[in-house]
Amino acid sequence: MNLTKLVQKRSNWVAPYVLFLVLFVVLPLLLIAVYAFRNPAGQFTVQNFVKFATQSEALSTFVYSVGIAIITTLLCILLGYPAAYILASSQFNRSRTMVLLFILPMWINVLMRSLATVALFDFLHLPLGEGALIFGLVYDFLPFMIYPIYNTIQKIDKSYIEAARDLGATNRQVFTRVIWPLSIPGIISGIMMVFLPTISTFAISEILTLNNKRLFGSIIQDNMMMSDTMNYGAALSLIMLVIIAITSAVSGDDSDLSEGGLI
Amino acid sequence: MLLFTAALAAVPFISAKADDDRAHILKVYNWADYIDEDLIPEFEQWYKENTGEEVHVLYQTFDINEVMLTKIETGHEDYDVVCPSEYIIERMLKNDLLLPLDRNFGSVPDYTVNVSPFAVEKFDEMSASGRRASDYAVGFMWGTTGIMYNKAFVKKEEAQTWGILWDPKYEGKILMKDAVRDVYGSLMMYIRQDEIRSGRVTRQHVMNDASDASLKIFEDTMLCAKKNFAGWEVDFGKERMVQGKAWANITWSGDAMWALDEVGDEIDLDYVVPVEGSNVWFDGWVIPKYAKNVKAANWFINFMCTSENAIRNMDAIGYVSVIGTPEVLAYKIDESLDETVDLTYFFGEGADSVKVNSIQYPDAKTIERCALMHDAGNRTEAMLDMWSRIKGDSLHSATIIIIGLVIAVIIVFAVMKALGKNKKAKRRANAKKTSSRR
Amino acid sequence: MMKKFLAKSYLYVLLLVLYAPIAIIILFSFTNSKTIGDWRGFSLDLYSNLLSGQAAHSATITQAVLNTLIIAVTAATLSMFLGSIAAVGIFNIRNRKVRKAIQFANNIPMINPDIITGISLFLLFVSLGISGGYVTVVLAHIAFCTPYVVLSVMPRLTRMNPNIYEAALDLGATPFQAFRKVIVPEIKPGMVSGFILAFTLSIDDFAVTLFTKGSDGLETLSTYIYADARKGGLTPELRCLAAIIFLTVLILLLIINRRSRLNKEQ
Repeated sequence: MNLTKLVQKRSNWVAPYVLFLVLFVVLPLLLIAVYAFRNPAGQFTVQNFVKFATQSEALSTFVYSVGIAIITTLLCILLGYPAAYILASSQFNRSRTMVLLFILPMWINVLMRSLATVALFDFLHLPLGEGALIFGLVYDFLPFMIYPIYNTIQKIDKSYIEAARDLGATNRQVFTRVIWPLSIPGIISGIMMVFLPTISTFAISEILTLNNKRLFGSIIQDNMMMSDTMNYGAALSLIMLVIIAITSAVSGDDSDLSEGGLI
Repeated sequence: MLLFTAALAAVPFISAKADDDRAHILKVYNWADYIDEDLIPEFEQWYKENTGEEVHVLYQTFDINEVMLTKIETGHEDYDVVCPSEYIIERMLKNDLLLPLDRNFGSVPDYTVNVSPFAVEKFDEMSASGRRASDYAVGFMWGTTGIMYNKAFVKKEEAQTWGILWDPKYEGKILMKDAVRDVYGSLMMYIRQDEIRSGRVTRQHVMNDASDASLKIFEDTMLCAKKNFAGWEVDFGKERMVQGKAWANITWSGDAMWALDEVGDEIDLDYVVPVEGSNVWFDGWVIPKYAKNVKAANWFINFMCTSENAIRNMDAIGYVSVIGTPEVLAYKIDESLDETVDLTYFFGEGADSVKVNSIQYPDAKTIERCALMHDAGNRTEAMLDMWSRIKGDSLHSATIIIIGLVIAVIIVFAVMKALGKNKKAKRRANAKKTSSRR
Repeated sequence: MMKKFLAKSYLYVLLLVLYAPIAIIILFSFTNSKTIGDWRGFSLDLYSNLLSGQAAHSATITQAVLNTLIIAVTAATLSMFLGSIAAVGIFNIRNRKVRKAIQFANNIPMINPDIITGISLFLLFVSLGISGGYVTVVLAHIAFCTPYVVLSVMPRLTRMNPNIYEAALDLGATPFQAFRKVIVPEIKPGMVSGFILAFTLSIDDFAVTLFTKGSDGLETLSTYIYADARKGGLTPELRCLAAIIFLTVLILLLIINRRSRLNKEQ
């Protein structure tokens, strides 16, 4: 009897998911923190963080990854925004197929795409390394930048643009005063989809540089794989989590990602 | 809710079912590309014929010793048979992670006696904590570490010394093996060659000296060589050498053999063990403490030790089996070769000048300049740290500064934005207050 | 006119670069050579090797493809139901703070890079002593797929008349019946798009699977390719598999696209 009452109230329907979130999202993240402050014997220590701060390797890889991620993100915006804009404007493009063609690579396995990039570079006799890495990252993540921007531009109410025109705005003004500001949530979603994954990628950089240039994700993964260094790996993951928190805070506290055209 | 409880309820059900099947499953954990895969179904059949029991082999591979060790030591994974390198076996013995072998196979002969006494003796050097290594491990493959090179770009004299790593001619052309112990030990013999020659230190000592001083010299020397590295490989080096995409590869003898067999006519590869010395290594089968199918594990090890299966594995993977029977020697003799090698140390009397491939079976003289690796114990972590410092150092300080500046600018921007928002919010709040007052 | 031409050509150049690697893989799936770039004349040998099971690791590849599909279908189905029910729940929460908190938690798996999700779940399963396998991988995939379902169902709920559900209850329906007969029809499009999204995310995932697949030899296509890449590039037959997957997805998308356009025109 009580149970039926509980089920009748629709807000209670969230209960299974909340339980699931606690068990498989929140608890695991807390475990990262627990492991990060432990040594392999299970005692409390801050040694892992001291090691990160004093060991040149992890720190320099970290800085390097952030640098590569910034470059990749900027290139994605630079290349992706015009593409998204053209795709979304009825003046230039009316075909949905064109949009699909830009999203299609997302459905091909990311490792397969990276290996394809290696094949391309080998085919053209270009050396693998930093250049290949940046090309590969932009190539892998560009669709994730184009799609949200395209979505937000498309959702812009056309009457705003018409109103601006009626009030005498030039094309340029329409863009800088109306379209650009309204598409910023899309850019932010795009940055979230590109910047963080780039820092934490491991397989892609291994494949594209023959393990020569390592990103932060590789270091985390290396350390997680071995028992001696698993706690250090957890500490590095915790640092990554902090970066995530900062990035999300920077990109605005409105927590509704659907506004950014992600879906 | 129903759905979720159903999903949770399924968890124990599925694992219970798995437990039931476990008696008929043998989990083998081996190096990648390290067996003739046809032998796996043949073992299942052979086991059925001789014991009447069904077994299904779950075959999995690893490519770094330490990763395998972690899975067993920390993950308590229930692999039944694994194939680590000798120094890892030593560590597993120290940490009590292994079960002793049971060499009683009823009417089936004990084939583990086929292992060359040379290999047994080397394995016994790994004995630890009062446990004799050969009671716990049976050899599988062995070999050396050396340099594989493309004859079109590298001369033999140049490849015969580890010094090639620092030769500016080879900038970005050498593939480095991502195996800290092998590379460390071998290169330390180059770095400390004068001391070895004058007899002040033994090769064995140099290879296993993990003191801070030794690590420091190695790190500094390696950083100078980094310009020459095209990449770090665990398994793809041979592939890229075959494609002619790298000029030289620091690698194991077996990988080199595989590449030499695989390569087309247009590319000419060779392999040498540099004159300064190198390491000779042995991989062996062991049964971890957490094994759940010990019987099949013992039988599997025995199966791998017949002369016939040893030959088939060798043909499939290019590495050299530790089995030292006359059958193996007879199979390996190739009259078309020009050079002869002295293999008495491995095959016993009568093998003092046989025509056998010297990449696979190095001459007694080559073996003399090679040493065996031991577990570095509590120095392991320092060594791994040093190795990842060498691998990770891909930055010039100027780049760090530029990137640091960019990050700083972004953070400042973010803080300002956050403050701006607060102000706006306050202003709005103030405006509300004033309006309500009105 | 000129502008339009420039805009169009920009799109085409970008597409050309985006598709160059894929094109090369497809091109070299039609020649029997070990490495890409080494053209040995047109042949369908690789395809027949792959499809007849004669390729070196055919059985493993087939099993990996199968595993990928099984995991994706299971995870997507479960997250579709879990996410839809949760969305209804969240939508009906009156307390703004509670609602915000749940939405925040819902966003975590979307913002977290997959390596972090993978590691956190790996630590969870290790601490609980659960050995990895289908179950852990599916649970992990549900964890990062469900938020997307929630987000695609939510907008549908805002469009729904909130009183029908109560009406159904008043007329004697059980909550389950009311859900099935009243709510589901309204949010179905959101559920479907959530399912498709979850399915593709699951298929494309690599890092989370790598950390949660355990040691029973479970391989999905991604983890298989990763192992393969560490060995020095694609097994030649995988080029065919890539080509087949690519064309299948392309054709499916074109069909869906055409259908939706026809629907609109009607």
